[in-house]
Amino acid sequence: MTLYSTPDTDAVVAAENRPKALHRNRKGRGIGLAIGAGLLLIGLVVPYVVNDNFTMSLLVTSSLMSLMALGIGFLARYLGLFSLGHGAFYGCAAYAVAIATTNWGWGPLPAVIFGTVFGALVALIIGVLVVRASGFGFLMLTLALSQALYQMSNQTVMRPLTGAHDGKLITYTGNATFFGLSMSDMMDPGLFWPVAWVALVVTGVILWLFGRSRFGTTLEGIRENEERMRFSGFNTFRPRLAAFVLTGAAASLGGALFALNVGYISPDILSFGKAGDSLVAALIGGLGTLVGPVLGTFLFVYAQANFNFGGNIHLLTGVLLIVVLVFAPGGITGALTKPYRYWRAKLTQRGKGAEK
Amino acid sequence: MKTKIAIAMAVLLSLFVSACGSATSGSKSGGGSGETIKIAVVSPTSGSLAKTGTDAANAWKTAARLYNEKGGVLGRKIELIQKDTDGDPSTTLQGVREAVTKGGAKFVGGVMTSPENAAVSAQAKGLGVVAMNAIGKDDVLRGKQCSPNQINVVQSNSMSFKAIEQALKDMPGQKWAIQAVDFSTGHSASEKFTEAIKASGKEVVLQQYAPQGTTDFGPYITNIKNSGADAMLAVVYGSDREVLVQQMQQFNLGSQVKTVVGSDTFVESLFPVMGDGIIGYYNNVGYDVNADNAMNKEFVQAFIADHGNQPEFIPADNYLAAQLLFGAIEKAGSTDTDKVLAALKGMKMDTIDGEVSIRPEDNQVLRNMYVGRVVKKNDKLAYEIISTTGPEVSTPQANPDCVMS
Amino acid sequence: MEQLLNGVALGALLMVLSSGLAMIYGLRGVANFAHGALYMLGAYLAYTVTERIGFGLALLVVPIALALVGVVLELVFFRPLQHRSHIELGLVTFGLAMMGERLVTLIWGEGTLRVLPPEFLQGTTSILGSDYPTYRLAIIVIALVMAAVLVLLLRFTTIGLHIRSASQDIETAAIMGIDANRVSLIVVSVGSALAGLAGTLAAPYISLNPGMGDVFLITSLIVVVVGGVGSIAGAMVAGMGVGIIQTIGAVYLPSFAVLLPYVLLVVVLLWRPQGLAGRKV
Repeated sequence: MTLYSTPDTDAVVAAENRPKALHRNRKGRGIGLAIGAGLLLIGLVVPYVVNDNFTMSLLVTSSLMSLMALGIGFLARYLGLFSLGHGAFYGCAAYAVAIATTNWGWGPLPAVIFGTVFGALVALIIGVLVVRASGFGFLMLTLALSQALYQMSNQTVMRPLTGAHDGKLITYTGNATFFGLSMSDMMDPGLFWPVAWVALVVTGVILWLFGRSRFGTTLEGIRENEERMRFSGFNTFRPRLAAFVLTGAAASLGGALFALNVGYISPDILSFGKAGDSLVAALIGGLGTLVGPVLGTFLFVYAQANFNFGGNIHLLTGVLLIVVLVFAPGGITGALTKPYRYWRAKLTQRGKGAEK
Repeated sequence: MKTKIAIAMAVLLSLFVSACGSATSGSKSGGGSGETIKIAVVSPTSGSLAKTGTDAANAWKTAARLYNEKGGVLGRKIELIQKDTDGDPSTTLQGVREAVTKGGAKFVGGVMTSPENAAVSAQAKGLGVVAMNAIGKDDVLRGKQCSPNQINVVQSNSMSFKAIEQALKDMPGQKWAIQAVDFSTGHSASEKFTEAIKASGKEVVLQQYAPQGTTDFGPYITNIKNSGADAMLAVVYGSDREVLVQQMQQFNLGSQVKTVVGSDTFVESLFPVMGDGIIGYYNNVGYDVNADNAMNKEFVQAFIADHGNQPEFIPADNYLAAQLLFGAIEKAGSTDTDKVLAALKGMKMDTIDGEVSIRPEDNQVLRNMYVGRVVKKNDKLAYEIISTTGPEVSTPQANPDCVMS
Repeated sequence: MEQLLNGVALGALLMVLSSGLAMIYGLRGVANFAHGALYMLGAYLAYTVTERIGFGLALLVVPIALALVGVVLELVFFRPLQHRSHIELGLVTFGLAMMGERLVTLIWGEGTLRVLPPEFLQGTTSILGSDYPTYRLAIIVIALVMAAVLVLLLRFTTIGLHIRSASQDIETAAIMGIDANRVSLIVVSVGSALAGLAGTLAAPYISLNPGMGDVFLITSLIVVVVGGVGSIAGAMVAGMGVGIIQTIGAVYLPSFAVLLPYVLLVVVLLWRPQGLAGRKV
């Protein structure tokens, strides 16, 4: 009940969904990497199949926002922490790119690197303040700090940098290119798609590998029983901070690329609403698996573009969020993988029976 | 359990099917001379801007009806593709993209806030569209963020400020207080008004700024009372406007401050909420509903017939945008974006707002700006125009920051 | 002096809003994100009741109506989900908030509405040598009376004792023979009624618009955390404090004033995680 208590066990990250430290072998890693490579290749064909600019722009936006959702999902899965702060890293990185290109005349590539590093740095500073908290305290602190950043970005003194409430239009000096893409190419969803997709898949694989590593095991230990880990001689602060910064960097990469793609940063990028939308989308997709938050984000962006009659998107997501939390805490992916897990459990049981 | 999963699968499947369905149907549309002229109307229908957004779309509907009844433009019918937004730039851009790439629209109207218009401005050239900005007043859209593909139909903020400056010297009151929003628009307006007030031999006793979204103006009103001001200028936007008016009345500020001037503060759409307390207040007015010309009378009549209420500046400016666009298409003899743009540049035309012209340097439509006083007419609040400022005074030259490329 | 009164008036409103939030937080361990939507619903209901009958009646009817909404919240969500983790329950209220705000907008429309206080509260009253709006003085009086009544009830009645012990530790209280369900029902409905009261009081103070819930929700969440988890008196004091600091700040440090509540929250959480008046971990 207190802010700094150990995290409650969450049905949202259903126990059977939690990564199991025991089953980590080389073969699993090989299969995972192969799946990643396959996804990467399949994704690259998408623009030739879809051939429709509008749908492509939704896919690009979804992929970039998914980077943020991946981060939120990783934190929830491995540490049981729910963050309303990842929108801040996404937004800060986008602003950093805009400032680097527009105010300092940097090229897009160094600007994206700078944006990602800057976003991660913000994550580091905020992380130092918040990762000791858990449960509600963590949610509140990330909410409050990102709100503070939002207010700050809209202050008059920040005008030359962020454009305050007018937002910021991104301009480049000279004929800047990004991996061969010209300024207008970057805004073309069909041409920008490979960048967004590669970023998403590679980040997904990296987070997956981190999750399988010793680091992931340590995080799980902390989630399950922080005190025990501390007594066993582990420093629990540093792994938590590292996970926070790592996921912050993933969100920052998304924000930095988003800035290139839209060419304009709207002031509400840092708002409470955006961060909330992303957390909700991740929850609906399901926090128990790596792809859950990604799936949730794609669905959210699709629904926002198609069912948002008169702002009803929030009515819909509100209902869906409650339904998911109450009836299917594993989210969509949780519900979908349930029969598979049931079937596998049965098979292993039968196998054991046959041996006897 | 199994039925649950079946339902979930069915929902997912139908989502994917509908996604594919719309994707294939969208790719068919192309160009052709016998086709309709398609215009994307992208305005918010939710949030605090919903009413204004609906008004803007209504004006385009009335324009489409009137022109279509007269045989269309270039003999082709006007077709509106309406898209919903949240009033935030990303959904607006999505709506524009969808109308353009899937619906085949080449012209965009109804876009609301300045940030949204800036976002559209940034992408208009890439999308190959002509965007008619009839609502975004920010000067940046006529400066650093101007685009060769965007026409600014509505008067800019600085044009409004200039009109108010012109009217200030004839208003009663010696000691002025300025209450402005804590944005650069508010700060620059405050500076300009201070100069104008001092130039007419009066005094500015207080300048203060409240952040957007202020719910309690009590501290600011107390400051105004303590400053001894007898006149006040308000540069306040959004829902802060109603809050300010309500709290000014609660504090009975009217007993001390006799003259109150607003810059887009006491606007017609808020008259019912603000109530009789604002009678005698001044505000800039972009459009005179009583303008005595045949086109305006036709428009006002048709708008009332279509939508049941008298048009104010938002519908009027959008209708004006439609007039200019259709005029340019006729002049160009084509719906080709580049030809229409060439026709728009420097165009002079007779409209509901009298003769207006488009300045090629910043694509600003040069037109009058008025200052009105709130009066009660036929038991309803309305403006009485007290001064008119021509474009030669309100916007003598284009902003050099605007580079059309 | 008048500025101090301005601060006290805003503080009074925050006090009413946060004490309801704090009560629910204390008992259920959930920061009710739907509290902003309840407050907004209260304000819009007050508008309808005032239009039809009068503001005086709204002050009575709206809290009762909201108490009923609270009963529904408790029976449909809080009670069946009480064994889930706090964060999940919190996220459920997050979903409720998203829905609630949209529903209110669908019912009452997008436009701004205004509510007039009764005739005798509309003018100004001379206090300590300056004319101050009578309605604001009324808010201050009503809020202080409410606070006093609430504190007295908690301190000197049996149910108050039960509420206090249940907020300390709901499980132990249940073992000691306190009907936790009954206590919880009362707390959630009283908390919701307080949100309704805050909405009604706010209606003539600020105008009604669809964004009004968000503005105060975040501030009052901060107030509750700063005041101390589960401490109603702490929330009241913190609400008043934040109201005064924000108002005075807006006059003397305009740009910094918006950031003040956040700075305050971070400082308090780092320096005294259990809140100013919270119990020890």
